[in-house]
Amino acid sequence: MNVKKINRRLQKNGFAAFSVHETEDGLVLTGKSDNWDEIVNAGFCAAKKYGRTHVINDCVFTGDAIPPIRAPKLVDKAIDGMKPDVLVIGGGVVGAATARELMRQKLDVLVVEKEYDLAIGASGRNDGCVHPGIDLLPGCEKHYYNVRGNRMFDQLAKDLDIEFDRCGQTVVFDSKKLLPLAPLIKLYFKCMGLGNVRVMTEKKLKAFEPALRDGMKLGLFFPTGGVVCPYNLTIALGENAAQNGAKFSFDTVVTGMETQGGKITAVHTNRGTVYPRAVVNAAGVFTEDVAKMAGDRFFSIHPRKGTNTILDHKTVSMVRTSYSLISELKEEGHSKGGGIIRTVDQNVLVGPDAFETYKKEDFTTEAKNVAAVFQKQGRATERLRQSDAITYFSGVRAATFEEDFIVEKGRKCANIVHAAGIQSPGLTAAPAIAVALAKMCGEILTAQGKKAEKNPDFDPHRQGIPRLAKLPDAERAAYIEKNPAYGEIVCRCEEISRGEIVDALHRPIPCVTVDGVKKRCRPGMGRCQGGFCGPQVAKIISEECNIPLEAVRKAGEGSELLFGKTKGGAENG
Amino acid sequence: MADYDVTVIGAGPAGLAAALAADEKGKRVLLVERAARMGGILNQCIHDGFGLLRFGERLSGCEYASRYVRMVEAAGIETTLLTFVTRVEKKDGVFHITLVTKDGVRTVTSTALVLSTGCRERTAKQVGIHGTRPAGVYTAGTAQYYINILGEQPAKRVVILGSGDIGLIMARRLTLEGAEVLGVFEAKSTPSGLTRNIAQCLDDFGIPLHVSHTVTRVFGDARLEAVEISEVDEKMQPIPGTAQKIDCDTLILSVGLIPENELAETLGVTLDPRAKGPVCDQNYETLVDGVFVCGNALHVNDLVDYVSESGASAGAAAADYSGKARELAELTADGGFLYAVPERLDTAGDLSKTVVFFRSREVREKSQVSVSVNGETVFTKKYQRLKPPEMERIEVDLSRVKPGDRVTLELREA
Amino acid sequence: MEKTFVCIVCPNGCTLHAAEENGVISVTGNRCPKGEEYAKAELTNPVRTLTTSVATVFPDRPVLPVRTSGAIPKDAIMPAMRVIAGLRVNHAVACGDVIAENFMGFGVDLVATDDLRV
Repeated sequence: MNVKKINRRLQKNGFAAFSVHETEDGLVLTGKSDNWDEIVNAGFCAAKKYGRTHVINDCVFTGDAIPPIRAPKLVDKAIDGMKPDVLVIGGGVVGAATARELMRQKLDVLVVEKEYDLAIGASGRNDGCVHPGIDLLPGCEKHYYNVRGNRMFDQLAKDLDIEFDRCGQTVVFDSKKLLPLAPLIKLYFKCMGLGNVRVMTEKKLKAFEPALRDGMKLGLFFPTGGVVCPYNLTIALGENAAQNGAKFSFDTVVTGMETQGGKITAVHTNRGTVYPRAVVNAAGVFTEDVAKMAGDRFFSIHPRKGTNTILDHKTVSMVRTSYSLISELKEEGHSKGGGIIRTVDQNVLVGPDAFETYKKEDFTTEAKNVAAVFQKQGRATERLRQSDAITYFSGVRAATFEEDFIVEKGRKCANIVHAAGIQSPGLTAAPAIAVALAKMCGEILTAQGKKAEKNPDFDPHRQGIPRLAKLPDAERAAYIEKNPAYGEIVCRCEEISRGEIVDALHRPIPCVTVDGVKKRCRPGMGRCQGGFCGPQVAKIISEECNIPLEAVRKAGEGSELLFGKTKGGAENG
Repeated sequence: MADYDVTVIGAGPAGLAAALAADEKGKRVLLVERAARMGGILNQCIHDGFGLLRFGERLSGCEYASRYVRMVEAAGIETTLLTFVTRVEKKDGVFHITLVTKDGVRTVTSTALVLSTGCRERTAKQVGIHGTRPAGVYTAGTAQYYINILGEQPAKRVVILGSGDIGLIMARRLTLEGAEVLGVFEAKSTPSGLTRNIAQCLDDFGIPLHVSHTVTRVFGDARLEAVEISEVDEKMQPIPGTAQKIDCDTLILSVGLIPENELAETLGVTLDPRAKGPVCDQNYETLVDGVFVCGNALHVNDLVDYVSESGASAGAAAADYSGKARELAELTADGGFLYAVPERLDTAGDLSKTVVFFRSREVREKSQVSVSVNGETVFTKKYQRLKPPEMERIEVDLSRVKPGDRVTLELREA
Repeated sequence: MEKTFVCIVCPNGCTLHAAEENGVISVTGNRCPKGEEYAKAELTNPVRTLTTSVATVFPDRPVLPVRTSGAIPKDAIMPAMRVIAGLRVNHAVACGDVIAENFMGFGVDLVATDDLRV
């Protein structure tokens, strides 16, 4: 590592206020700025893409106060004194998948999640693409895990009873420049494990994706691409882990750790102290904070926000698979590709964009960002209209300056494994990352003298909530005969029955919130956004879970929908 | 032969009137309702002002609905409640309607179809409200359901966006039930609701109305904590530097209604982008033969009395539906109109009492509406004042119209 | 004394002008006799019909819509809400049934505006 060289590079590129020095942890970047983008860019300038020595950001940001972690107010002793073999920190897709993998062994596993449900962070706020890994170069962790994770999806979807559509991905070019290279391109991707990539010329492309604008000269179709519902996947993984004995504790934030001789001995949370043998750091944008608690901070996360828009079902004919345009026109800013995607629920998803932010949990949306995404993606199809939007949402990616995944054992802490920097294609890679993390945990436990033992009762299968509207009439009727509540439609837009909503309230991982129900079986996901069914869903939650209506929440703590009864006096004739 | 002559989908005021009218003609009628009771949205409209034209009384919404429900029950019309239509297909000129109920899935056939599916509210996302996604952002209709059906208070400190009638009604309702309504904000330069509702719902309670203002952002992670209000220019774009933050726990939206025509669209019905409902003729028959539409599914009405009127007309016409070919002429409204209904005239049918509903695009004084056939004026009516929130109704003898004639609705200064 | 206001009797929403001179009230702007009546009342003793709901003992129908059978003084609206908050219906009711007779002594009844089928 040539620190001098890097510092010269920083100087030369206008980051004179910044410098790096090498420590045993990594490459520490210091400096001061009131401009967050400048700090991030200095980090990029110092970092080596896909490098294994990481930039650790110790810069001082003077532009604003960095908001503290959104932590639950709740304090109790719910998990106090627990001694799990493995403590998984984070109920995102990696945490849930790892918990499930761990249950293949006879292990005591506890997952803690600071939010009220699974998939509240980036895992529930992305475009759901199962990526072929088009732009990933061999040798990087992203490529390794993406290829492996991608291959696991067919079986995983079958086992977990979730919808997965291996519809492929199309990259569209408005220039013919690449056409002569077609045979080479095909060969390249074949070697990269992406299967038989189809090259389409203008006419074929138009026939394949008729909604594309005229003048799209070349299309590359990647058959291994697919789509999944990202929160559904996470919840399914979590439920299957729970079915197999993993424990989940929500509203549980890790507040500190005790270490001794390079080992975590205790983990403090707002719900008590636990004493795990091994810890999985799957805390998303907070992986750096968790690593620091373990005395093992050797990387930094710079949050990168992206916004997606969901369009009405009516527009679904706009896209058969998913497509994104690589234009000759120069892209502005540090913006990722994004695209137009047909979701498994037959909506169109547009986005995402990418903006650096110092707020790890900034889930707000901005009109200008949505407008910019529409303008950009609208270059591919003229049918894209903002008036078709039914909702939009933002997520925050947990990027490292090296822009690669970190899937490894602690460098200075002996009983932690990290899954950090898990941004796109993290969803695709998650199942493979989970396998790797579970294996590392096994090694840590073996080193501690715990013999690995297979769990003979492990069942990889999970049954989802039936989706009545997608069944043929006869099958639907059979369900209704068994349970008439399946015949009472509550959500008119998505055609969701009372029975499905009741089912969602009685799953292996409980959910008693309107948003929790919405994620599990979709009432309120449609064009009226819960205008009609919202109160009814709240009432069903109140009745099924035996809580007063005014205690029913939209989401986490403090999100109660109602303030109590309008009136209620003494009985009167 | 089909199971029913007329199937009416939706038992709100339009559907109830349609079913009654078809029944009066001695037809076999099926009335399908998704909810557990008939009456539609009127069940949650406990305020009064309904039925002045129809019954000559000031009824509450529920009272108005009760009267029709009793008539439907007295007539012995077959109704199926808690029934959801999942699919309608037209095969060999007959409609096959698939119904899901607690008893299972069944398909019934019908010669004619009346769509009285009502409308839905525009949501926060559809009007481009950004920021966080907290609890406490409700459409006016949702808030109304919480208060009037569930007896629950959804708000304490409230900002209302949009001066549509439901928003105004909810301003009063929330105030009566103890909430503090901080103000009603309207992006347009004129109010969207009826003038009398501004008087009796806002003025009576000292609730301020701010036109040319909109909500540009919401704050709060769990529950709404504040909204940002900005002044807007003539193009309804926020004016920089005018933003102010108002602390509140609830934002109620009354920002427009959209006719629900998803079922109609699956049948290939053409929609009028101006009225937002299906293009239809004077009998409320859409461009798909045998499919009739009425009430708020056709266009958003401000008076239930007109909803019932269109329901009755559509129901009667559906009862008379024979599959005989229509000969359609176009009725076009000029740019002065927000929209006009119907958009077609069936010259093979009776046109002697053609009812045309319209709204002006802008508030205008002293105007004249005229109808002309091939350039010749056949009808005129003068108005002191026309306002987009107030729908107007005219009855015109258009018997002379022949297929291919150019029939136009014009709006000028009087 | 004179006042200008919007008539709330019907959707026409006429702008009324009422003026009192020597005990005689003259009204202009109205398109019907009801408007004149309303304007006179508004000038001397403004009244409103109250529509609201009362609590019931039935969990499936926690509230029942009601209204005053005639207008009550405008000033009495909020006090009336407090009185109504103390009522609770415990039996089946048909639309039009009286819930409270001679409500608050105003000579009008509080009546149900919906059926309560139990």
